Amino acid sequence: MARRTRHQVLALFPVLALAVTVTGCATKVGTGSGTDAGSGISLVEAGKLTTCTHLSYKPFQYSEGDKTVGFDVDLVNLVAKDLGAEQKIFDTPFETITSGEVFNTNKCDLAAAGMTITDERKEAIDFSEPYFDASQALLVKKGSGITDLSGLKGKKIGVQLETTGEKYANDNSAANGYTVIQFEDLPLMETAVRTGAVDAAINDNGVLYDYVKEFPDTEVTKEFDTGESYGIGMKKGNKALLDKVNAVLKKANENGEYDKIYEKWFGKKPEKK
Amino acid sequence: MAMSKRQRAKAFRGAQYALLVVVAIVLALVADWGEIKRAFFNVDIAVSMFPNVLTVSLVNTLIYTALGFAFALLAGLLLALMKLSPVGPYRWIATVYIEFFRGIPALLVFIAVGFGVPLAFGIDFDIYSKVMLSLGIVGAAYMAETIRAGIQAVPKGQIEAARSLGMSQGRTTITVVIPQAFRIILPPLTNELIMLTKDSSLIYIIGLAREEYELTKFGREVLSRSPSLTPILVIGLCYLLITLPLGYLSRYLERQTGGKKISTPESTGLGVSA
Repeated sequence: MARRTRHQVLALFPVLALAVTVTGCATKVGTGSGTDAGSGISLVEAGKLTTCTHLSYKPFQYSEGDKTVGFDVDLVNLVAKDLGAEQKIFDTPFETITSGEVFNTNKCDLAAAGMTITDERKEAIDFSEPYFDASQALLVKKGSGITDLSGLKGKKIGVQLETTGEKYANDNSAANGYTVIQFEDLPLMETAVRTGAVDAAINDNGVLYDYVKEFPDTEVTKEFDTGESYGIGMKKGNKALLDKVNAVLKKANENGEYDKIYEKWFGKKPEKK
Repeated sequence: MAMSKRQRAKAFRGAQYALLVVVAIVLALVADWGEIKRAFFNVDIAVSMFPNVLTVSLVNTLIYTALGFAFALLAGLLLALMKLSPVGPYRWIATVYIEFFRGIPALLVFIAVGFGVPLAFGIDFDIYSKVMLSLGIVGAAYMAETIRAGIQAVPKGQIEAARSLGMSQGRTTITVVIPQAFRIILPPLTNELIMLTKDSSLIYIIGLAREEYELTKFGREVLSRSPSLTPILVIGLCYLLITLPLGYLSRYLERQTGGKKISTPESTGLGVSA
């Protein structure tokens, strides 16, 4: 009887030891392993350039089979090649990128997500030089007769969460008397136009033009020149990677690589500024 | 020296308490308390969420849940009767419906109702109808089983007595069986209400205007502008404001009905929503 008691109590000690070791071994968030990819750049995962993005945003990033493809993907591949690393894509909600959360928790090295450079976002993340000029555009059902925001009085306009299009729609809502309906991502917002849940939707011209090609029962009736451009996002203060990305972008502009990628996704050469 | 069975049990329990204390101490030492305060207890952010968090999002959550519950109750009753019907095709349709909508995540149903149905049938309806349908379709699948169990729990003697009084089958069911069944299933029904309240957190996917935000969407919106997770805490407390009283109500009703328990998937813990 006595021996059995001792064994039962002793059995607890391994459990205790396990509990203590587990808490001791838990690594703190933020210790990116990462090896030096040369010139003082450390990556969150050795040998890989981890890109955060939000799918899908055709033609900048979207899924084809089980691969992620797109304009942004090809552009970042140039950086990856230069670093001798392989690009790895991480799909995450858009607001986790614009708020910098993905960098603060070391989920990725940079973010390419058709992301417009804004002062508000600059407070949370660093941006590369602009790599794409964009404007907002209005998506409607074909034949709706809505050609401007003023035509939406008393109607509903769809926007995508945390986009510059959402901001533009909100800024102009009082003047035009429409209701803003917010969607989690682009495809749902675009579908809502087709189902009639909203009378129009506003988002970047690049993606909407791509959409109407695929769904000819919709059309883009207006572009709003907002003078915005896309940038690649990075952790605040990550100067080494920022310089590298800018250098690669500059080189691509000079040696025609950028034009090649642009033509591949948009069917024409970019307009020279 | 041999310990008696009682002493052994006491020693074992003592060791477990000791283990708990050790784990608690380890966690307390390992946790970064300053970071936790900053992450969860930012008073400014919490205060800024009022009164809208209550007057807009809490009210919306209650409305959406109520709409969904009403639809689910009616549709669930219909499905339960179908499942108990002597007509073969009725039973089959009800079974397929229940198994299907209990087997897929609620979020998928919301997307299907919000986008798929309008696309497929070329019609669109307002947000309240979409919410009522989405939550109702999912809720009905769970409620059907609860209601069916309730109906079958009504003592057979009641039906026999009614029939021998000359009441038809239909009359018996409506005036004798169903009212008693509902009294029996009031506790599990309150549980269903709690489930639907939490399911309403997925409604955002359909696309909401600012005045239509329910609790979770409101919280995430504040979260995206805050360097802190405090909104999550506030929203969680708001949900508890709804679900805790419902839980108490459920236990109170259970005592009132004399604790007559029926076995539903929810009460056995096997049936869970998305």
